[in-house]
Order: sequence, then C-alpha cells, then structure tokens
Amino acid sequence: MGRYIVRRLLWVVVLLFLVSLITFIVFYAFPTADPAQLRAGRQPNPQLVEQIRHSLGLDKPWYVQYFRYMKALVLHFDFGRSYHYNVPVRKHILDAVAPTASLVVGAAVLWLVSGIAVGTISAVRRGKLIDRLSMGGALVAISAPVYWLGLVALYLFASDIGKVHIFPGAGSYTPITDDPVKWFTSLILPWIVLAASFAAFYARLLRGNLIETMSEDYIRTARAKGLRERRVVLRHGVRSAITPVVTAAGLDIGILLGGAILTEKVFNIPGVGMVAFDSIQNADLPIIQGTVLLGAFFIVIANLVVDVLYAFLDPRVRYA
Amino acid sequence: MRRSLWSIIAALAVLALVVAGCGGGGKAKKGGTVTILDTEGGVDSLDPGYWYYQDDYKSLGQPTQRWLYGWKPNETTPTPDLATALPAVSNGGRTITVKIRSGIRYSAPLQTRTVKAADIKYAMERCFLPQVGNGYYHSYYGDIAGADAFTKGKAKQISGIQVPDATTLVIKTTKPIFVLTSGRALGMPCTVPIPKDYAQKYDKGKTSTYGEHAVFTGPYMVQNDGKGNITGYEAGKTLTLVRNPKWDKSTDFRPAYFDRIEFKGGFDATVAARKTLTGPRMLSGDYAAPPVAVLKSGLSSRKSQLVITPSGGNRYIGLNTRIKPLDNVNVRRALSAAIDRTSLRQTRGGPTIGTIATHFFPPGIGGFEEGGGVQGPGFDFASSPTANVPLAQQYMRKAGFASGKYAGPALLTFADDAPPAKETAEAFQSQVGKLGFKLKLREVPHATMLSKYCEVPKAAVAICPNFGWGADFFSPQSMIDPLFNGKNIVPTGNVNTAQVNDPKLNAQIEKAKTITDPAASAKAWAALDKVVTNQSYFLTWIWDNNVGLESKDMNGVPSKFNSGEWDLTFSSFKK
Repeated sequence: MGRYIVRRLLWVVVLLFLVSLITFIVFYAFPTADPAQLRAGRQPNPQLVEQIRHSLGLDKPWYVQYFRYMKALVLHFDFGRSYHYNVPVRKHILDAVAPTASLVVGAAVLWLVSGIAVGTISAVRRGKLIDRLSMGGALVAISAPVYWLGLVALYLFASDIGKVHIFPGAGSYTPITDDPVKWFTSLILPWIVLAASFAAFYARLLRGNLIETMSEDYIRTARAKGLRERRVVLRHGVRSAITPVVTAAGLDIGILLGGAILTEKVFNIPGVGMVAFDSIQNADLPIIQGTVLLGAFFIVIANLVVDVLYAFLDPRVRYA
Repeated sequence: MRRSLWSIIAALAVLALVVAGCGGGGKAKKGGTVTILDTEGGVDSLDPGYWYYQDDYKSLGQPTQRWLYGWKPNETTPTPDLATALPAVSNGGRTITVKIRSGIRYSAPLQTRTVKAADIKYAMERCFLPQVGNGYYHSYYGDIAGADAFTKGKAKQISGIQVPDATTLVIKTTKPIFVLTSGRALGMPCTVPIPKDYAQKYDKGKTSTYGEHAVFTGPYMVQNDGKGNITGYEAGKTLTLVRNPKWDKSTDFRPAYFDRIEFKGGFDATVAARKTLTGPRMLSGDYAAPPVAVLKSGLSSRKSQLVITPSGGNRYIGLNTRIKPLDNVNVRRALSAAIDRTSLRQTRGGPTIGTIATHFFPPGIGGFEEGGGVQGPGFDFASSPTANVPLAQQYMRKAGFASGKYAGPALLTFADDAPPAKETAEAFQSQVGKLGFKLKLREVPHATMLSKYCEVPKAAVAICPNFGWGADFFSPQSMIDPLFNGKNIVPTGNVNTAQVNDPKLNAQIEKAKTITDPAASAKAWAALDKVVTNQSYFLTWIWDNNVGLESKDMNGVPSKFNSGEWDLTFSSFKK
C-alpha cells in the first residue's frame, strides 16, 4: 500500500506539470485579453504598452515564458504577481483556501449525512409515500440552480434583506480564528444551499444502488441467519452500496475545494471560487493559472484518497 | 415641434429628479464607521501613480491623499490643496509656477517628514515609468520639456520639472497647454507626493510595489502596521481606511466626518443594492447604477435613498469608418436617425440613468452650452429621441442606396456578454435591421471586447455598441483628443475606434489645446463637438447619470469631478 501511495504521489507531480502546461498554453498563448494593455489601463500610449509587455516578459516566446514561470514556481513557490491588482498571486490564492475549505467541508458533511439517510430510507421504504416525497424533493433540489437557490434563500431568510430574519446574510463570513460562533452561523445558509443538490443526487444514487444490493443472495443469507433488519441494511446493504457514493464524494469535494464559484459569489464568501471568478472577469492570467493548478491539485489528491478508501470499504480491493 | 416639447419636458423631469437627488438630506454628524459594498474588486491598485478610475479616486485618491489641486464636490474648477494657490503662468503660457504648503506631514513610517516640492517632482516622473502603468501621463504631461528624453531613457529626470526650493515647483512646457496652465491636469493623482528616497527601491523591478508600502497625507490612511506595510487591504475583498493621525484639518478644505471607512468587495449586485437600501450605515460601491429591478423598486418606494447625479460622461455606439459602408458619412447619419435612443435607454433602466443625447459632449463639460446645450446643434439625424426611419432612408438614398436600405454583407459587431450592455447591443441590432443592416453580433466579456477586438484596429470590427466615455476634470480636450485625433490611432488600446484621421480635424484639435483663455477654449472645443456630431463617427445616445444608493441614516455627497461617485471626505451620517 505504501509503495502504491508513493507511486500515485509521483503521478500527481506529472499530472500537475501537464495541467500547468495546458493551462499556460490556453491562457498565455491564446489569452482572452491583452495583459499588457490591461495593466496599462484605459487610453495607454503604445510605448507604455510595449514597455509593460517587455517588463512582464510577454514579448518572449511562450515556452520561454513557461520556463520562467515554472522556474519561479518550483524554486521559490512563486506564482507571480496579479496583472490586475499588482499583488503576489500566492498570498492572494492561499488566503482564499480557508473560506473555501470551511464551506466545502461543512456542506459535504451535510450532504453526505442527509443524502445517505434519505437514500437509505427511500430504498427501504421503496414505493411508499416517504419514498415518493423524498425522491420528488430530490428532483426539485437537483433542478434548482445554485445561484437561484442562494438568492431565494437570502431573500427569505437573511437577517438583512430577508423576509424572515434568521441567518446572517451575504458578506457575513467570519474566519473561524476570529469568532467560531459567527463562523458557524455565517455558513449555515451557504452550507444548505451548496449541499442541497449534492444531497439530492447522492440520495438518488444510494437509493438505486441499495435497492439493487438488497436483492443480492448474500442479503437473503443474512436475513436467513436471523440478523435484525437494521443490521442487514446498514452493515451488509449500505456498506456495499455506498462505494459509488464515496467515489462521487471524493471527486466532488476535490472539485469544490478548487472553488465553489456560484455559492461563494452569491454569499460573498472570499474563497478560491471568488478569486477565480474575479480573475476570469479581469483576464488576470497569473491568478487564473494559480487557481487552476490549485483545483487540479485538490482533484488528484481527492482521487488518491478515494482509491485508498476503497481498500477499507471493500475487502476485495488490494493495491500492489 | 412636438418632439422638441417632449424633449424639454423629459429633460426638465430628469433635472428635477437630479436636483431632488443631489446633496442628500440632514445635517452632517461627525464620526462612525461607514461600509461600502462593492460588486467587483474595488480599487485597481494602491499606487497613486496608477489611479485613473472612479473607484480609485473615491476609495483612495480623495480620502487618503492630498493632491496638488483637489476638487470640492460641487465645483468644476480645482481647489488648491497641497498648492497654496492656482498656478502662476508666465513665459507666454510655457512656464507654470506652483507654491507648495509647508508643514504637511506624511503618515508612518515617515511621520517626521514634511512634503517637499521634490516629492511631487518624483511623483510626476514615476508616472512615466512602465512599472507604474499610468494611463494619462502622455495625454497631459507629454508636452513638459524633457519628458520625451526621460521616456526614452536618455535623461534621468524630466528637465522641465524643476524645484528651485522646497516649496516651489516649476513646470516648463514646449508650448502653452491649457490643462496645465489652468491647474486642472495638476488635480490628478500623479501629483500625490512620493518621497524619492523612500519609494525608489519599490519602483525597481517589473512592477512597482510602492502601493504596498505607501505613505499617506490625506485625512485617512489604509490600515497599516506603522512600519510601512499595508495591513488593511485584501485585493478584491476588503479595504479598511482609518484616520491618519498626521493629517492637520486646519490646512485642508475637506471635513472628513467618518472615523473609519470599510469597503467590502465581491457582492452580487442585486444583493449589494438591497442591503444598502434596507440596512444601516452603508453607501453603494463600484456600480454606476443598481440593477434595473432594484432601481425600479427603489424609485417607487425609497426615492429619498437614491442620489442621482450627471456623471459627465456619455454612452455611444462606435462605428469604424474604415469599413464599408460606414466610411460613408450619410450611412452613419442614417444609422443615427434609425436608432431609438429612448429604447436603448430603457435597457439600462429608463430616464433615471440619463438624458437622451443630442450631441457628443455631455453636460458639465466646457463647450457643452456653446455647442447647443441640451437642445444640441440641431442636426436632424441626432435630435430625435426615437427612431426616424423615413429620415434614415433619405440619408441611405443620399449615400447611394436607392432603395433606402442596405443590402451588403453582415457587419462584424462585438458587444458585452453581460447585462445591461448585452441588452443594449441586442436592441441596437434589432433597430438597425429596419434599414436592412445585418450584424454578425459576437458577445464576449468586457475586457475581451475591448482589448482583443474593439480597441484593436487589426481586428477590423465594424461596430461596437457598448462604449462610454467620461471627461477628466471637466475637460473638453479629454473628450475629443483621445477619440478623434488621428495621432492616437494605435495597434492596441486604440480608443479612436472610429479610426478618424482627418488632417484638418487633427490640426483643429492641436490648436484648441493651446488656447489658454477659458471662454475662447470652450468655443473652440464646442466647434469640434459639432464637427464630430455632424460626422456621426459615434452614435451618442445618452448622457449618463450616476445613481448612488445610501442607507436611510446616511448623507452621501456625490463628487462632480468623479463622475457622481461619493466623495467620502464630505459624506457623513445624518444628525
């Protein structure tokens, strides 16, 4: 197992290198806007634009630019400076990781707990009223766009602009180190909104798997041995049916750690998603590159974690 | 006649709305913390040399620094700030002498130092450095003697900026320049003092990092550790201003009522606007007008919280005169007659957001009244608030299109992909369709639209419907010279998007720049306004208003100089 993990970690490095190269080619060789002109502001004279292009090294071939970028990144962990804000990219992005992690981890707990509970109950009570209500609700939650759901939640429940003043509204995010209670209350609405569609999807996924699993021979054997139904469902049924849920959760959490753009935007949580959104709006290539690399890093790490978890969930899986 | 009457009634209605909105209400109360909600990133940079946008002026330029000349909220002429008086002009307008106040202190870590004329000289010189990225030095300071040699690296200083003593700044130009002799172009952030020995180390390298270590002279400063490191700024997220203990109120014209100013960035525009209207202690941030839905509900139920001010800018549809059939002036006039300016205005929220334009210059600019005021110069193709298709067809026939309609290939058009600009472009597309014009409409992000297409001559874009322009310091020069002078056609960042290069017009512009008598200057620029309106290089459809939102307990004061954005050094809580 140890050798497997080391090998996978080496692949992480290769993958990140490839991602950085592709991102660089896409955004630097075919930028959506001219960085030198953006840096020079409105109404620049051509001399200034050319001077800026030269000073940023944008007049060099793309591979020279890429080499310089990677050299600074590998040797000094330096992601460069933002074209738009003229601040160091590394600090700008790393400052945003904690808010995103707060949002994603909390939401993941919520969607896993609720998704697994609803999915299990629906499968066990298949065809009953509770199953129909749960799956109907899940369909609505999957169909509702996050941005719309977020705005509706704010207009209904935010303490400033809501009809019923219950939860802190947009822009109320407080770091956990400043005030843990405010941190928790400020994230309740975003957690619910972000978790809604995931919980619904997971509930449907688990329900389908569990229904199939519960018709397996070994479930019948377990029942024939006289085990209690709860134990049959939870220990034998859910444990087997949950494997695809773990795969999906690993990837979803990895992707979201790279930025839950819509939820962060609507609730104004200063996370990686907001940084990415802002940088795309401003064609701020060094920040775009940094957020893509960070997102890729989380995804490949999440993949690794999922693969390792398989071995614990399913005794048949062994890595050499 | 009927149309004229309606125009006057509409103009009066908007004027009444503007007057009602101006100035806020209630007496000023000292102290407190105000919060400003931004939708985008707020300021672009902490470096005074880079500031050239409304947000930079509002959030940092006015509250944290003292310029050579400042701007009182309602005035259209500069007020001496670091200077003791308006410039003394000699040598036929070629020498400008400015006396500096003594005893103005910097914030920590330079708290023991006072502002010297040499600090302003260095500040102006560093605006020429590429690592600072200033966007206006060449327009206003390019004719200072020695500027060219400095830019080309042949001189270490600009010889035309001299400091005979600690309180005297002398600027020598190669020809008389009205924007300098009047002090207007010295009321820009390039005159914010920056001590050379402190800043020079930060000005080396690819991009200057001085902004992260800036020192302040204004009533407020960005929260910092007192050792020259900014702590109250997270790019795109927060900006915190606190009182500058070294600011001496007795030497400044600004009351600076607030104790603390907090900017919070990244809000959804609708959420930010609603929060500002329903909550306490808030002012609107980096949006010129709220989303249309909030604007409508605000007008019906919270009118007293909307502060409407003419922005001193306009919005226009850019036509590329190098592309057929737009090279024909009568085709351009036909398009001008065919557009329904009232409908275009509806896409941004209706009459509140501006007055239908009858010529290029917006109100408040020198030369606006001389150019016909609200009524305009009387060109039939530019005077109707709604479409006049029969007139448009007449112009098409004059242009050689016997049917009165265009039947050529579709015209490449680039527009913004976000509302409300997107809706404006689509409305325009539908309107000109009546004249037979087909558009290859491409909608892209704003930055892409400008820097890859509309401001790149090589991209050969025929029409760009989402342009706007605002004057610097009420100067007609800043409305005409960059946009219509042939010498300003450049490969990228080209704001002369019509690609006008008429030698007669160029000469007329150059001559107008050197007229130093204010009345004669206004007349000369008004004549140019008439020329560009008659040529229909751009289809100007609105003179913009800025719509500010304030909480009920606020007394926001808009700054005319800064396009109607709040002047936070005059705004306050209500008593």
